[in-house]
Amino acid sequence: MPAPLMDAPVMIVPPANPRQIAIASGKGGVGKTWFAITLAHALARAGRRVLLFDADIGLANVDVQLGLTPVHDLGSVIAGRTTLTEAVQRFAPGGFDILAGCSGSGALSALDPAHLDRALAALRRETMRYDLVLLDLGAGVERAVRQMAASADTLLVLATDEPTSLTDAYAVLKLHNSDRTGGDARVVINQAATHATGERTYANLRRACTTFLQRDPRLAGVIRRDDRVRDAIRRQALLLTRHPSCAAALDVEAAAQALEV
Amino acid sequence: MRLKLYQAPNMAEAMARVRAELGAEALILGTRRVAGGIEVTAALEPATAEPPPPPRPDPDRVAALGFHAVPADLRPLLDTGALDEALAKALPFSALPLATGDKPLLLTGPPGAGKTLTTARLATRLVMAGTRPMVLTADGRRAGATEQLAAFTRLLGINLTVASHPVTLGRALTRRTDGAPVLIDASGCDPFDAAQVEELRALTTTAAAHVAVVLPAGLDPAEAADLAVAYAEAGASLLIVTRLDLAHRLGGVVAAAASARLPLTEAGIGPGAADGLVRLTPAILATRLMQIRKPTHARASDGRPSYDRAAG
Repeated sequence: MPAPLMDAPVMIVPPANPRQIAIASGKGGVGKTWFAITLAHALARAGRRVLLFDADIGLANVDVQLGLTPVHDLGSVIAGRTTLTEAVQRFAPGGFDILAGCSGSGALSALDPAHLDRALAALRRETMRYDLVLLDLGAGVERAVRQMAASADTLLVLATDEPTSLTDAYAVLKLHNSDRTGGDARVVINQAATHATGERTYANLRRACTTFLQRDPRLAGVIRRDDRVRDAIRRQALLLTRHPSCAAALDVEAAAQALEV
Repeated sequence: MRLKLYQAPNMAEAMARVRAELGAEALILGTRRVAGGIEVTAALEPATAEPPPPPRPDPDRVAALGFHAVPADLRPLLDTGALDEALAKALPFSALPLATGDKPLLLTGPPGAGKTLTTARLATRLVMAGTRPMVLTADGRRAGATEQLAAFTRLLGINLTVASHPVTLGRALTRRTDGAPVLIDASGCDPFDAAQVEELRALTTTAAAHVAVVLPAGLDPAEAADLAVAYAEAGASLLIVTRLDLAHRLGGVVAAAASARLPLTEAGIGPGAADGLVRLTPAILATRLMQIRKPTHARASDGRPSYDRAAG
């Protein structure tokens, strides 16, 4: 007897979730916040709806780098003074939205794991209108950083060829491997002399990961060292606006494109 | 991960420095030419002693340890892995020193623990193995004690020496020949009574003996632990368990051995003179601990309670 039509499986199409991409480095000072901002800009220019969430615990400075004076920040959201949606600020020059962190307040790291989990769930719920949510994580590997890195869909680990940066990037990948086994973690090499040297730096880090962690993180991009990056940061300007065709700008755009894969 | 860069005029030298500093375990992440030679990036991952997740306790084991009232502080040591191996780690086990030439073995314990029967059984075992032990009794206090042991020694065809006083004991021991094993059945001793402990010490010193305390199985664990510690302080260094076959709950045995760090040696497991005493091994204790013997509270036809004994 043929199955009645009513028994046919119902296909449920889930609402589109924004893809969360966390950006970490372990070591500070490797250009993480600059990369997060420029990546957000590149993705916005490619037509994506992007929210840049400054989760740099304790020392948030996306707003400083962009010369913003946020009315609300994450601190007011956690304190319940405002909703997450209200706290989001449109950054018109870049064509993306920003949720400012709360520099110096340590509000995120003060949250206990369960509370932070709820905050991250709320972040997902209230960011449905975006295609991508970038989380600019703080330096270091403290618990809140690890928890946010593990909850994101993709983790980008930014490193330079300095031994300290490579060691710290490895530590981030190692912890992510135990916090979220099999999670999507990728490597971005910043401040590379050339693409070839950047790829060699990645190969070194990759060899450590495959040997010690039995994990093979993909290369998400090599960003070449470029004096115009410093120029843009000093002027609180966007690199892709100020120097759209410089080496670093092209490399970030290539990384943004590669992210979609 | 420890990451280090080495620069040297040539590869061989760079590698030699890597091996010298980081050891053979070092991983070469990459090499590149630099002005004046070569640069090697090497890494070493210290053996991360990430503890494996603790094995989950076996519920049957947890139930058995609970039934036997094994002291709570010992249960985490015993509730995972092979029980005999866990017991061997948690408790001391040993053989009785009864080889030719060993120091005399003096048996003490609370009155009625089974010292005399244990002495007789050890003597029987030695005779059957072809050794003629010297058997002495210092138990002149209890009526019939000497007679009970004499019944055994007569059957075995060996002498029984009665020496209730340290002086007579010392004199008797001078007649030990060819280092024959010596068994001394001391009288019952209350280890909390200073005078009786003094008496025990005097005998021990005169005989230069190892002291084994004989304790029955089935005692309350706390009580057994108190007794064992007190006997150990009075000089005992070995533990013999009696009535292992009759006791339902063996928490007392475990508690006594653990709290006084007295090695478990022999256990009484039946009425036979020859086979009623066995070497108490971790395997035997493990088997017994996994048995949950509960009285059924049913009455047998003769009106006495019958017991549902687990097989084995």
